[in-house]
Amino acid sequence: MTDPATARSTGVNEAIVEPGVALGATTEEAESFEALYRRTFPRVYAYVASLVRERAAAEDVTALAFERAYRKRNRFRPARGTREAWLFGIARNAALDELRKRKRRASLEAEPEDPAAPDFDGHADSALRRATVRAALAQLDAREHEIVALKFMAGLSNAEIAGVLGISESNAGTKLHRTVNKLREACDERA
Amino acid sequence: MNERELALAVAAEAPAPDPDFARQLDERVARGFPRDSRAARLTLARARAASVLRRRPPVAALGAIASVLIALAVAVSLIGGESATRHADVPGTSGADQRPGGAIELDSPTDGKIANPAPAQPPAAAKRRSEALDAGLATEPAIVRPHPDAATTLRDDGTQLAVPVPPAPRPGFAPGTRDRRIERSATLALAAPDDRLDKVAADIAAVTDRYRGFVLSSSLATGDEGATTGGSFELRIPAARLDAALADLAELGQVRSRTTAGQDVTAAFVTAGDRLEAARAERASLLTRLENATTDNAAAALRLQLDATAGEINRLKSRIAVLRIRTDYANVAVTLQSTDADTAAPASGERDGLRGALDDAADSLGTALELAIRALGVAIPLALVAAAVALAARAIRRRRRESALH
Repeated sequence: MTDPATARSTGVNEAIVEPGVALGATTEEAESFEALYRRTFPRVYAYVASLVRERAAAEDVTALAFERAYRKRNRFRPARGTREAWLFGIARNAALDELRKRKRRASLEAEPEDPAAPDFDGHADSALRRATVRAALAQLDAREHEIVALKFMAGLSNAEIAGVLGISESNAGTKLHRTVNKLREACDERA
Repeated sequence: MNERELALAVAAEAPAPDPDFARQLDERVARGFPRDSRAARLTLARARAASVLRRRPPVAALGAIASVLIALAVAVSLIGGESATRHADVPGTSGADQRPGGAIELDSPTDGKIANPAPAQPPAAAKRRSEALDAGLATEPAIVRPHPDAATTLRDDGTQLAVPVPPAPRPGFAPGTRDRRIERSATLALAAPDDRLDKVAADIAAVTDRYRGFVLSSSLATGDEGATTGGSFELRIPAARLDAALADLAELGQVRSRTTAGQDVTAAFVTAGDRLEAARAERASLLTRLENATTDNAAAALRLQLDATAGEINRLKSRIAVLRIRTDYANVAVTLQSTDADTAAPASGERDGLRGALDDAADSLGTALELAIRALGVAIPLALVAAAVALAARAIRRRRRESALH
Protein backbone atom coordinates (compact mmCIF):
# COMPACT_ATOMS: atom_id res chain seq x y z
CA MET A 1 0.00 0.00 0.00
CA THR A 2 2.81 2.40 0.80
CA ASP A 3 4.83 3.36 -2.19
CA PRO A 4 8.51 3.84 -1.31
CA ALA A 5 8.82 6.59 -3.83
CA THR A 6 5.94 8.42 -2.27
CA ALA A 7 7.34 7.75 1.17
CA ARG A 8 10.52 9.50 0.34
CA SER A 9 9.08 12.34 -1.64
CA THR A 10 6.61 13.41 1.07
CA GLY A 11 9.25 13.81 3.70
CA VAL A 12 10.30 17.31 2.69
CA ASN A 13 8.89 20.74 3.03
CA GLU A 14 6.43 22.39 0.78
CA ALA A 15 9.05 23.36 -1.76
CA ILE A 16 9.59 19.79 -2.80
CA VAL A 17 6.28 18.16 -1.95
CA GLU A 18 4.65 16.73 -4.99
CA PRO A 19 1.87 18.96 -6.25
CA GLY A 20 -0.70 16.21 -6.07
CA VAL A 21 0.02 15.64 -2.41
CA ALA A 22 -0.34 19.25 -1.40
CA LEU A 23 -3.20 19.55 0.99
CA GLY A 24 -6.23 21.67 0.92
CA ALA A 25 -8.75 22.15 3.64
CA THR A 26 -11.61 20.98 1.49
CA THR A 27 -9.93 17.76 0.51
CA GLU A 28 -8.89 17.10 4.09
CA GLU A 29 -12.40 17.22 5.43
CA ALA A 30 -13.64 14.67 2.94
CA GLU A 31 -10.57 12.51 3.13
CA SER A 32 -10.87 9.01 4.51
CA PHE A 33 -8.61 7.82 7.25
CA GLU A 34 -6.93 5.36 4.92
CA ALA A 35 -6.07 8.14 2.51
CA LEU A 36 -4.70 10.20 5.37
CA TYR A 37 -2.63 7.23 6.42
CA ARG A 38 -1.26 6.68 2.94
CA ARG A 39 -0.35 10.31 2.63
CA THR A 40 1.29 10.78 6.01
CA PHE A 41 2.65 7.42 7.11
CA PRO A 42 6.30 7.94 5.97
CA ARG A 43 6.41 11.41 7.45
CA VAL A 44 4.88 10.36 10.73
CA TYR A 45 7.35 7.55 11.00
CA ALA A 46 10.25 9.87 10.20
CA TYR A 47 9.10 12.39 12.79
CA VAL A 48 8.54 9.74 15.46
CA ALA A 49 11.85 8.09 14.72
CA SER A 50 13.63 11.41 15.04
CA LEU A 51 12.16 11.75 18.51
CA VAL A 52 12.54 8.27 19.95
CA ARG A 53 15.69 7.46 17.95
CA GLU A 54 15.12 3.73 18.00
CA ARG A 55 13.67 1.77 15.13
CA ALA A 56 11.59 -0.70 17.14
CA ALA A 57 10.22 2.01 19.39
CA ALA A 58 9.52 4.20 16.38
CA GLU A 59 7.52 1.41 14.76
CA ASP A 60 5.53 0.79 17.94
CA VAL A 61 4.84 4.47 18.49
CA THR A 62 3.89 5.03 14.87
CA ALA A 63 1.46 2.13 14.91
CA LEU A 64 0.06 3.33 18.22
CA ALA A 65 -0.34 6.85 16.92
CA PHE A 66 -2.27 5.75 13.86
CA GLU A 67 -4.44 3.45 15.94
CA ARG A 68 -5.22 6.26 18.37
CA ALA A 69 -6.01 8.56 15.49
CA TYR A 70 -8.25 5.92 13.99
CA ARG A 71 -10.14 5.48 17.28
CA LYS A 72 -10.47 9.23 17.72
CA ARG A 73 -11.07 10.12 14.09
CA ASN A 74 -14.56 11.36 14.88
CA ARG A 75 -13.23 13.81 17.44
CA PHE A 76 -11.26 15.79 14.88
CA ARG A 77 -12.43 19.38 14.65
CA PRO A 78 -11.32 21.27 11.52
CA ALA A 79 -11.68 24.56 13.36
CA ARG A 80 -8.79 23.64 15.62
CA GLY A 81 -6.33 22.96 12.83
CA THR A 82 -5.58 20.76 9.89
CA ARG A 83 -5.96 17.02 9.96
CA GLU A 84 -2.20 16.60 9.63
CA ALA A 85 -1.51 18.82 12.60
CA TRP A 86 -4.02 16.80 14.60
CA LEU A 87 -2.36 13.54 13.54
CA PHE A 88 1.15 14.75 14.29
CA GLY A 89 -0.04 15.99 17.69
CA ILE A 90 -1.21 12.49 18.50
CA ALA A 91 2.07 11.06 17.28
CA ARG A 92 4.02 13.55 19.35
CA ASN A 93 2.12 12.67 22.53
CA ALA A 94 2.68 8.99 21.90
CA ALA A 95 6.36 9.55 21.30
CA LEU A 96 6.79 11.67 24.41
CA ASP A 97 4.95 9.06 26.44
CA GLU A 98 7.33 6.47 25.08
CA LEU A 99 10.32 8.62 25.98
CA ARG A 100 8.99 9.13 29.49
CA LYS A 101 8.35 5.44 29.84
CA ARG A 102 11.81 4.56 28.90
CA LYS A 103 13.28 7.34 31.02
CA ARG A 104 16.14 7.59 28.76
CA ARG A 105 16.92 8.92 25.39
CA ALA A 106 17.91 6.35 22.92
CA SER A 107 20.93 7.03 20.94
CA LEU A 108 20.21 7.61 17.36
CA GLU A 109 20.12 4.37 15.64
CA ALA A 110 22.28 4.26 12.62
CA GLU A 111 19.96 4.37 9.72
CA PRO A 112 20.76 1.93 6.97
CA GLU A 113 21.46 3.43 3.66
CA ASP A 114 18.26 3.87 1.79
CA PRO A 115 18.64 2.50 -1.68
CA ALA A 116 15.74 4.65 -2.82
CA ALA A 117 17.25 7.85 -1.50
CA PRO A 118 17.50 10.41 -4.26
CA ASP A 119 20.86 11.53 -5.39
CA PHE A 120 20.42 15.29 -5.26
CA ASP A 121 23.03 16.40 -7.63
CA GLY A 122 24.33 13.17 -8.96
CA HIS A 123 27.87 13.94 -7.83
CA ALA A 124 30.18 11.89 -5.67
CA ASP A 125 30.21 14.39 -2.86
CA SER A 126 26.59 13.71 -1.88
CA ALA A 127 27.71 11.23 0.75
CA LEU A 128 29.95 13.85 2.28
CA ARG A 129 27.15 16.38 2.31
CA ARG A 130 24.82 13.95 4.06
CA ALA A 131 27.45 13.20 6.65
CA THR A 132 27.84 16.92 7.27
CA VAL A 133 24.12 17.43 7.70
CA ARG A 134 23.84 14.40 9.96
CA ALA A 135 26.61 15.75 12.17
CA ALA A 136 24.98 19.16 12.26
CA LEU A 137 21.66 17.62 13.23
CA ALA A 138 23.37 15.80 16.05
CA GLN A 139 24.43 19.13 17.52
CA LEU A 140 20.86 20.26 17.92
CA ASP A 141 19.07 19.71 21.17
CA ALA A 142 15.90 17.70 21.32
CA ARG A 143 13.52 20.60 20.80
CA GLU A 144 15.49 22.00 17.90
CA HIS A 145 15.73 18.56 16.38
CA GLU A 146 11.98 18.16 16.75
CA ILE A 147 11.12 21.40 15.02
CA VAL A 148 13.50 20.59 12.16
CA ALA A 149 11.88 17.18 11.83
CA LEU A 150 8.42 18.70 11.78
CA LYS A 151 9.44 21.17 9.10
CA PHE A 152 11.69 19.21 6.79
CA MET A 153 10.81 15.57 7.45
CA ALA A 154 7.11 15.89 8.17
CA GLY A 155 6.61 18.77 5.77
CA LEU A 156 4.33 20.78 8.03
CA SER A 157 3.66 24.47 7.67
CA ASN A 158 4.55 26.90 10.41
CA ALA A 159 0.90 27.04 11.47
CA GLU A 160 0.73 23.27 11.67
CA ILE A 161 3.95 23.14 13.65
CA ALA A 162 2.52 25.68 16.04
CA GLY A 163 -0.57 23.52 16.44
CA VAL A 164 1.48 20.41 17.15
CA LEU A 165 3.75 22.11 19.67
CA GLY A 166 0.99 24.15 21.29
CA ILE A 167 2.65 27.49 20.61
CA SER A 168 1.80 30.49 18.50
CA GLU A 169 2.57 30.52 14.80
CA SER A 170 4.94 33.46 15.12
CA ASN A 171 6.75 31.71 17.92
CA ALA A 172 7.03 28.60 15.79
CA GLY A 173 8.41 30.66 12.91
CA THR A 174 10.96 32.33 15.15
CA LYS A 175 12.15 29.07 16.62
CA LEU A 176 12.35 27.50 13.21
CA HIS A 177 14.34 30.40 11.81
CA ARG A 178 16.87 30.28 14.66
CA THR A 179 17.19 26.52 14.37
CA VAL A 180 17.74 26.61 10.62
CA ASN A 181 20.40 29.28 11.04
CA LYS A 182 22.07 27.20 13.70
CA LEU A 183 21.91 24.16 11.48
CA ARG A 184 23.31 26.05 8.49
CA GLU A 185 26.16 27.47 10.52
CA ALA A 186 27.00 24.01 11.78
CA CYS A 187 27.01 22.70 8.23
CA ASP A 188 29.17 25.60 7.03
CA GLU A 189 31.67 25.03 9.80
CA ARG A 190 32.01 21.37 8.86
CA ALA A 191 32.14 22.11 5.19
CA MET B 1 24.61 25.62 1.56
CA ASN B 2 21.45 27.53 0.84
CA GLU B 3 18.12 26.86 2.46
CA ARG B 4 16.79 24.69 -0.32
CA GLU B 5 19.84 22.51 -0.32
CA LEU B 6 19.67 22.30 3.46
CA ALA B 7 16.00 21.31 3.32
CA LEU B 8 16.72 18.60 0.81
CA ALA B 9 19.62 17.36 2.84
CA VAL B 10 17.65 17.21 6.07
CA ALA B 11 14.72 15.54 4.31
CA ALA B 12 17.13 12.96 2.99
CA GLU B 13 18.04 12.18 6.59
CA ALA B 14 14.46 11.28 7.43
CA PRO B 15 14.32 7.68 8.70
CA ALA B 16 12.38 5.45 6.38
CA PRO B 17 10.04 2.77 7.68
CA ASP B 18 10.92 -0.86 7.28
CA PRO B 19 8.97 -2.37 4.37
CA ASP B 20 7.74 -5.27 6.55
CA PHE B 21 6.50 -2.88 9.19
CA ALA B 22 4.86 -0.74 6.52
CA ARG B 23 3.10 -3.80 5.10
CA GLN B 24 1.87 -4.94 8.50
CA LEU B 25 0.58 -1.50 9.33
CA ASP B 26 -1.08 -1.26 5.94
CA GLU B 27 -2.99 -4.42 6.72
CA ARG B 28 -4.04 -3.17 10.14
CA VAL B 29 -5.24 0.08 8.68
CA ALA B 30 -7.11 -1.75 5.97
CA ARG B 31 -8.83 -3.90 8.62
CA GLY B 32 -9.58 -0.89 10.80
CA PHE B 33 -7.28 -1.84 13.67
CA PRO B 34 -9.33 -4.85 14.77
CA ARG B 35 -9.54 -5.57 18.47
CA ASP B 36 -11.04 -9.02 18.27
CA SER B 37 -7.84 -10.96 18.09
CA ARG B 38 -6.77 -12.67 21.28
CA ALA B 39 -3.24 -11.40 20.96
CA ALA B 40 -4.43 -7.86 20.51
CA ARG B 41 -6.66 -8.13 23.56
CA LEU B 42 -3.83 -9.52 25.65
CA THR B 43 -1.52 -6.80 24.45
CA LEU B 44 -4.08 -4.17 25.21
CA ALA B 45 -4.74 -5.63 28.68
CA ARG B 46 -1.05 -5.76 29.45
CA ALA B 47 -0.60 -2.22 28.27
CA ARG B 48 -3.47 -1.02 30.41
CA ALA B 49 -2.24 -2.94 33.46
CA ALA B 50 1.24 -1.55 33.01
CA SER B 51 -0.20 1.90 32.57
CA VAL B 52 -2.19 1.60 35.77
CA LEU B 53 0.78 0.28 37.71
CA ARG B 54 3.06 2.90 36.24
CA ARG B 55 0.65 5.70 36.78
CA ARG B 56 1.17 7.95 39.72
CA PRO B 57 -1.61 8.52 42.17
CA PRO B 58 -4.21 10.65 40.37
CA VAL B 59 -3.89 13.63 42.64
CA ALA B 60 -5.96 15.85 40.39
CA ALA B 61 -8.76 13.31 40.16
CA LEU B 62 -8.72 12.73 43.90
CA GLY B 63 -8.83 16.46 44.46
CA ALA B 64 -11.77 16.82 42.13
CA ILE B 65 -13.62 14.00 43.85
CA ALA B 66 -12.91 15.52 47.25
CA SER B 67 -14.18 18.89 46.01
CA VAL B 68 -17.36 17.29 44.73
CA LEU B 69 -17.94 15.49 48.01
CA ILE B 70 -17.35 18.66 50.02
CA ALA B 71 -19.68 20.63 47.78
CA LEU B 72 -22.33 17.95 48.07
CA ALA B 73 -21.99 17.92 51.85
CA VAL B 74 -22.33 21.69 51.98
CA ALA B 75 -25.30 21.60 49.64
CA VAL B 76 -27.03 18.90 51.63
CA SER B 77 -26.47 20.76 54.86
CA LEU B 78 -27.75 23.98 53.31
CA ILE B 79 -30.81 22.30 51.90
CA GLY B 80 -31.47 20.58 55.21
CA GLY B 81 -31.14 23.80 57.15
CA GLU B 82 -33.34 25.54 54.66
CA SER B 83 -35.92 22.84 55.03
CA ALA B 84 -35.88 23.19 58.79
CA THR B 85 -36.21 26.93 58.48
CA ARG B 86 -39.05 26.55 56.07
CA HIS B 87 -40.77 24.22 58.44
CA ALA B 88 -40.47 26.78 61.17
CA ASP B 89 -41.86 29.45 58.86
CA VAL B 90 -45.06 27.65 58.13
CA PRO B 91 -47.80 30.23 58.56
CA GLY B 92 -49.37 29.97 61.90
CA THR B 93 -46.42 28.37 63.61
CA SER B 94 -44.47 31.48 64.31
CA GLY B 95 -45.34 34.80 65.73
CA ALA B 96 -43.88 36.62 62.74
CA ASP B 97 -46.30 35.00 60.38
CA GLN B 98 -49.17 35.73 62.60
CA ARG B 99 -48.39 39.40 62.21
CA PRO B 100 -47.85 40.07 58.56
CA GLY B 101 -46.10 43.30 57.79
CA GLY B 102 -48.29 46.28 57.32
CA ALA B 103 -51.34 44.69 58.80
CA ILE B 104 -52.54 45.69 62.20
CA GLU B 105 -53.48 42.87 64.39
CA LEU B 106 -57.10 42.94 65.26
CA ASP B 107 -57.11 41.07 68.48
CA SER B 108 -54.02 42.45 70.12
CA PRO B 109 -54.69 45.21 72.63
CA THR B 110 -51.22 46.67 72.27
CA ASP B 111 -49.56 45.97 68.94
CA GLY B 112 -50.33 48.50 66.27
CA LYS B 113 -53.87 49.03 67.33
CA ILE B 114 -55.42 52.31 66.54
CA ALA B 115 -58.11 52.89 69.09
CA ASN B 116 -61.04 54.74 67.79
CA PRO B 117 -63.87 55.96 69.90
CA ALA B 118 -67.16 54.23 69.44
CA PRO B 119 -69.07 55.46 66.46
CA ALA B 120 -71.32 58.38 67.15
CA GLN B 121 -74.45 57.20 68.88
CA PRO B 122 -77.78 58.86 69.41
CA PRO B 123 -78.47 60.29 72.88
CA ALA B 124 -80.83 57.44 73.70
CA ALA B 125 -78.19 54.89 73.03
CA ALA B 126 -75.73 56.86 75.08
CA LYS B 127 -78.19 56.87 77.94
CA ARG B 128 -78.67 53.12 77.75
CA ARG B 129 -74.97 52.67 77.67
CA SER B 130 -74.59 54.92 80.68
CA GLU B 131 -77.08 52.78 82.53
CA ALA B 132 -75.09 49.73 81.73
CA LEU B 133 -71.97 51.40 83.00
CA ASP B 134 -73.74 52.25 86.21
CA ALA B 135 -74.86 48.68 86.55
CA GLY B 136 -71.29 47.50 86.20
CA LEU B 137 -71.92 45.66 82.95
CA ALA B 138 -69.92 47.87 80.65
CA THR B 139 -66.38 49.14 80.65
CA GLU B 140 -65.09 52.45 79.52
CA PRO B 141 -64.54 52.54 75.75
CA ALA B 142 -61.16 54.10 76.25
CA ILE B 143 -59.90 50.64 76.99
CA VAL B 144 -60.34 49.33 73.54
CA ARG B 145 -59.99 45.62 73.38
CA PRO B 146 -61.95 42.74 72.07
CA HIS B 147 -64.24 40.73 74.18
CA PRO B 148 -62.43 39.36 77.19
CA ASP B 149 -63.50 35.88 76.32
CA ALA B 150 -62.40 36.29 72.73
CA ALA B 151 -60.62 33.41 71.20
CA THR B 152 -58.14 33.70 68.41
CA THR B 153 -58.42 31.72 65.28
CA LEU B 154 -55.83 31.66 62.54
CA ARG B 155 -56.75 32.16 58.98
CA ASP B 156 -54.90 30.33 56.27
CA ASP B 157 -52.92 33.43 55.39
CA GLY B 158 -51.54 33.59 58.90
CA THR B 159 -53.52 36.56 60.16
CA GLN B 160 -55.50 36.25 63.30
CA LEU B 161 -59.20 36.52 63.42
CA ALA B 162 -60.75 37.41 66.71
CA VAL B 163 -63.78 35.30 67.31
CA PRO B 164 -65.34 35.96 70.68
CA VAL B 165 -66.38 32.77 72.32
CA PRO B 166 -69.76 32.75 73.97
CA PRO B 167 -69.65 32.01 77.66
CA ALA B 168 -69.54 28.36 78.34
CA PRO B 169 -72.86 27.02 79.59
CA ARG B 170 -72.86 26.70 83.31
CA PRO B 171 -75.30 24.80 85.43
CA GLY B 172 -78.12 27.09 86.47
CA PHE B 173 -81.27 25.49 85.20
CA ALA B 174 -84.13 25.95 87.64
CA PRO B 175 -86.78 23.31 87.11
CA GLY B 176 -90.37 24.35 87.40
CA THR B 177 -89.74 28.02 86.79
CA ARG B 178 -91.88 29.57 84.09
CA ASP B 179 -90.20 32.94 83.81
CA ARG B 180 -86.84 31.82 82.67
CA ARG B 181 -83.85 34.12 82.68
CA ILE B 182 -81.50 33.43 79.71
CA GLU B 183 -78.24 35.28 79.24
CA ARG B 184 -77.70 35.35 75.49
CA SER B 185 -74.55 36.07 73.49
CA ALA B 186 -73.63 36.00 69.87
CA THR B 187 -70.61 36.49 67.62
CA LEU B 188 -70.64 37.67 64.09
CA ALA B 189 -67.67 37.92 61.72
CA LEU B 190 -68.29 40.19 58.76
CA ALA B 191 -66.13 40.92 55.73
CA ALA B 192 -66.39 43.81 53.33
CA PRO B 193 -64.22 45.47 50.70
CA ASP B 194 -61.72 48.02 51.90
CA ASP B 195 -63.65 50.95 50.53
CA ARG B 196 -66.80 49.92 52.41
CA LEU B 197 -65.32 49.15 55.81
CA ASP B 198 -66.00 52.61 57.19
CA LYS B 199 -69.60 52.55 56.05
CA VAL B 200 -70.17 49.07 57.44
CA ALA B 201 -68.74 50.20 60.76
CA ALA B 202 -71.17 53.11 60.85
CA ASP B 203 -74.05 50.84 59.86
CA ILE B 204 -73.24 48.49 62.72
CA ALA B 205 -73.73 51.34 65.16
CA ALA B 206 -76.93 52.39 63.38
CA VAL B 207 -78.43 48.90 63.51
CA THR B 208 -77.52 48.65 67.16
CA ASP B 209 -79.30 51.87 67.90
CA ARG B 210 -82.31 50.92 65.82
CA TYR B 211 -82.87 47.91 68.05
CA ARG B 212 -82.48 49.96 71.23
CA GLY B 213 -79.04 48.64 71.91
CA PHE B 214 -75.73 50.34 72.38
CA VAL B 215 -72.10 49.95 71.37
CA LEU B 216 -70.09 49.02 74.43
CA SER B 217 -66.71 49.29 72.72
CA SER B 218 -65.31 49.42 69.26
CA SER B 219 -61.97 49.58 67.56
CA LEU B 220 -60.93 50.12 63.98
CA ALA B 221 -57.57 49.04 62.62
CA THR B 222 -55.86 50.92 59.84
CA GLY B 223 -53.16 49.91 57.42
CA ASP B 224 -50.01 51.65 56.30
CA GLU B 225 -51.93 54.06 54.11
CA GLY B 226 -54.35 55.03 56.83
CA ALA B 227 -57.27 53.16 55.35
CA THR B 228 -59.44 51.05 57.58
CA THR B 229 -58.49 47.41 57.35
CA GLY B 230 -60.77 45.94 59.99
CA GLY B 231 -62.36 46.41 63.34
CA SER B 232 -64.19 44.87 66.24
CA PHE B 233 -67.33 45.91 68.08
CA GLU B 234 -68.87 44.86 71.36
CA LEU B 235 -72.59 45.47 71.33
CA ARG B 236 -75.42 45.18 73.80
CA ILE B 237 -78.77 44.51 72.16
CA PRO B 238 -82.08 43.76 73.88
CA ALA B 239 -82.33 40.02 74.13
CA ALA B 240 -85.87 39.97 72.84
CA ARG B 241 -84.76 41.58 69.58
CA LEU B 242 -81.45 39.77 69.19
CA ASP B 243 -82.45 37.57 66.28
CA ALA B 244 -83.79 40.46 64.26
CA ALA B 245 -80.73 42.56 65.02
CA LEU B 246 -78.40 39.78 63.98
CA ALA B 247 -80.28 39.40 60.74
CA ASP B 248 -79.84 43.07 59.98
CA LEU B 249 -76.20 43.04 60.96
CA ALA B 250 -75.61 40.05 58.71
CA GLU B 251 -76.86 42.04 55.75
CA LEU B 252 -74.15 44.65 56.18
CA GLY B 253 -71.40 42.43 54.76
CA GLN B 254 -70.26 38.95 53.95
CA VAL B 255 -70.83 36.70 56.93
CA ARG B 256 -67.74 34.67 57.68
CA SER B 257 -68.97 33.13 60.91
CA ARG B 258 -71.94 33.42 63.21
CA THR B 259 -72.49 31.83 66.57
CA THR B 260 -75.11 32.21 69.25
CA ALA B 261 -75.18 30.85 72.77
CA GLY B 262 -77.36 31.07 75.82
CA GLN B 263 -76.86 30.56 79.50
CA ASP B 264 -79.73 29.87 81.82
CA VAL B 265 -79.28 32.01 84.94
CA THR B 266 -82.82 31.45 86.24
CA ALA B 267 -81.59 29.51 89.25
CA ALA B 268 -79.25 32.30 90.30
CA PHE B 269 -81.97 34.86 89.69
CA VAL B 270 -84.56 32.94 91.76
CA THR B 271 -82.11 32.23 94.52
CA ALA B 272 -81.16 35.87 94.77
CA GLY B 273 -84.86 36.82 94.87
CA ASP B 274 -85.60 34.31 97.58
CA ARG B 275 -82.69 35.48 99.65
CA LEU B 276 -83.79 39.08 99.15
CA GLU B 277 -87.22 38.28 100.46
CA ALA B 278 -85.70 36.52 103.42
CA ALA B 279 -83.45 39.45 104.15
CA ARG B 280 -86.37 41.82 103.97
CA ALA B 281 -88.35 39.64 106.37
CA GLU B 282 -85.35 39.55 108.63
CA ARG B 283 -85.14 43.29 108.56
CA ALA B 284 -88.86 43.64 109.38
CA SER B 285 -88.44 41.28 112.29
CA LEU B 286 -85.44 43.21 113.56
CA LEU B 287 -87.34 46.48 113.31
CA THR B 288 -90.17 45.01 115.34
CA ARG B 289 -87.78 43.75 117.95
CA LEU B 290 -86.05 47.13 118.00
CA GLU B 291 -89.33 48.85 118.76
CA ASN B 292 -89.85 46.52 121.67
CA ALA B 293 -86.33 46.73 123.03
CA THR B 294 -86.15 47.78 126.67
CA THR B 295 -82.48 48.36 127.20
CA ASP B 296 -79.93 50.37 125.31
CA ASN B 297 -77.62 47.41 124.89
CA ALA B 298 -80.32 45.32 123.30
CA ALA B 299 -81.24 48.19 120.97
CA ALA B 300 -77.61 48.65 119.92
CA ALA B 301 -77.22 44.97 119.12
CA LEU B 302 -80.40 45.02 117.05
CA ARG B 303 -79.17 48.07 115.13
CA LEU B 304 -75.95 46.27 114.23
CA GLN B 305 -77.95 43.33 112.91
CA LEU B 306 -80.15 45.73 110.97
CA ASP B 307 -77.09 47.28 109.33
CA ALA B 308 -75.78 43.89 108.28
CA THR B 309 -79.14 42.91 106.94
CA ALA B 310 -79.42 46.17 105.01
CA GLY B 311 -76.06 45.50 103.43
CA GLU B 312 -77.13 42.04 102.44
CA ILE B 313 -80.33 43.41 100.95
CA ASN B 314 -78.42 45.95 98.88
CA ARG B 315 -75.97 43.33 97.63
CA LEU B 316 -78.81 41.01 96.62
CA LYS B 317 -80.66 43.80 94.89
CA SER B 318 -77.57 44.73 92.96
CA ARG B 319 -77.01 41.15 91.93
CA ILE B 320 -80.57 40.80 90.81
CA ALA B 321 -80.24 44.02 88.81
CA VAL B 322 -77.10 42.75 87.16
CA LEU B 323 -78.73 39.47 86.29
CA ARG B 324 -81.75 41.27 84.95
CA ILE B 325 -79.69 43.50 82.66
CA ARG B 326 -77.49 40.61 81.52
CA THR B 327 -80.56 38.73 80.56
CA ASP B 328 -82.34 41.72 79.15
CA TYR B 329 -79.40 42.64 76.86
CA ALA B 330 -77.55 40.16 74.73
CA ASN B 331 -73.80 40.45 74.32
CA VAL B 332 -72.93 40.63 70.66
CA ALA B 333 -69.31 40.65 69.42
CA VAL B 334 -68.85 41.71 65.84
CA THR B 335 -65.55 41.52 63.98
CA LEU B 336 -65.05 43.26 60.68
CA GLN B 337 -62.36 42.39 58.19
CA SER B 338 -61.44 43.20 54.62
CA THR B 339 -62.26 40.90 51.76
CA ASP B 340 -59.41 42.41 49.74
CA ALA B 341 -56.90 40.75 52.05
CA ASP B 342 -58.42 37.44 51.13
CA THR B 343 -58.03 38.29 47.48
CA ALA B 344 -54.43 39.30 47.94
CA ALA B 345 -53.52 36.13 49.79
CA PRO B 346 -56.08 33.50 49.07
CA ALA B 347 -55.98 30.43 51.19
CA SER B 348 -54.76 27.37 49.40
CA GLY B 349 -57.92 25.56 50.18
CA GLU B 350 -60.04 28.29 48.61
CA ARG B 351 -58.18 28.33 45.33
CA ASP B 352 -60.10 26.88 42.54
CA GLY B 353 -60.72 27.40 38.91
CA LEU B 354 -58.49 29.17 36.43
CA ARG B 355 -57.25 31.72 38.93
CA GLY B 356 -56.20 29.04 41.35
CA ALA B 357 -54.46 27.14 38.61
CA LEU B 358 -52.61 30.26 37.53
CA ASP B 359 -51.63 30.98 41.10
CA ASP B 360 -50.42 27.44 41.56
CA ALA B 361 -48.49 27.63 38.32
CA ALA B 362 -46.85 30.87 39.39
CA ASP B 363 -45.98 29.35 42.74
CA SER B 364 -44.54 26.29 41.07
CA LEU B 365 -42.54 28.42 38.69
CA GLY B 366 -41.20 30.49 41.53
CA THR B 367 -40.30 27.39 43.48
CA ALA B 368 -38.58 25.87 40.48
CA LEU B 369 -36.71 29.10 39.84
CA GLU B 370 -35.65 29.27 43.44
CA LEU B 371 -34.47 25.68 43.29
CA ALA B 372 -32.61 26.34 40.07
CA ILE B 373 -30.86 29.34 41.56
CA ARG B 374 -29.85 27.33 44.57
CA ALA B 375 -28.62 24.52 42.34
CA LEU B 376 -26.64 26.99 40.28
CA GLY B 377 -25.20 28.38 43.46
CA VAL B 378 -23.74 24.96 44.08
CA ALA B 379 -23.07 23.92 40.50
CA ILE B 380 -21.23 27.03 39.34
CA PRO B 381 -18.52 26.97 42.03
CA LEU B 382 -18.31 23.23 41.54
CA ALA B 383 -17.87 23.67 37.80
CA LEU B 384 -15.23 26.35 38.35
CA VAL B 385 -13.32 24.07 40.69
CA ALA B 386 -13.61 21.19 38.24
CA ALA B 387 -12.45 23.39 35.37
CA ALA B 388 -9.49 24.63 37.39
CA VAL B 389 -8.59 21.08 38.34
CA ALA B 390 -8.91 19.94 34.73
CA LEU B 391 -6.73 22.79 33.49
CA ALA B 392 -4.16 22.11 36.17
CA ALA B 393 -4.15 18.41 35.35
CA ARG B 394 -3.77 19.17 31.67
CA ALA B 395 -0.90 21.54 32.33
CA ILE B 396 0.81 19.01 34.56
CA ARG B 397 0.38 16.27 32.00
CA ARG B 398 1.71 18.50 29.28
CA ARG B 399 4.69 19.53 31.37
CA ARG B 400 5.50 15.92 32.15
CA ARG B 401 5.39 15.06 28.49
CA GLU B 402 7.55 18.00 27.57
CA SER B 403 10.04 16.97 30.22
CA ALA B 404 10.82 13.92 28.11
CA LEU B 405 12.60 16.19 25.63
CA HIS B 406 15.05 17.50 28.21
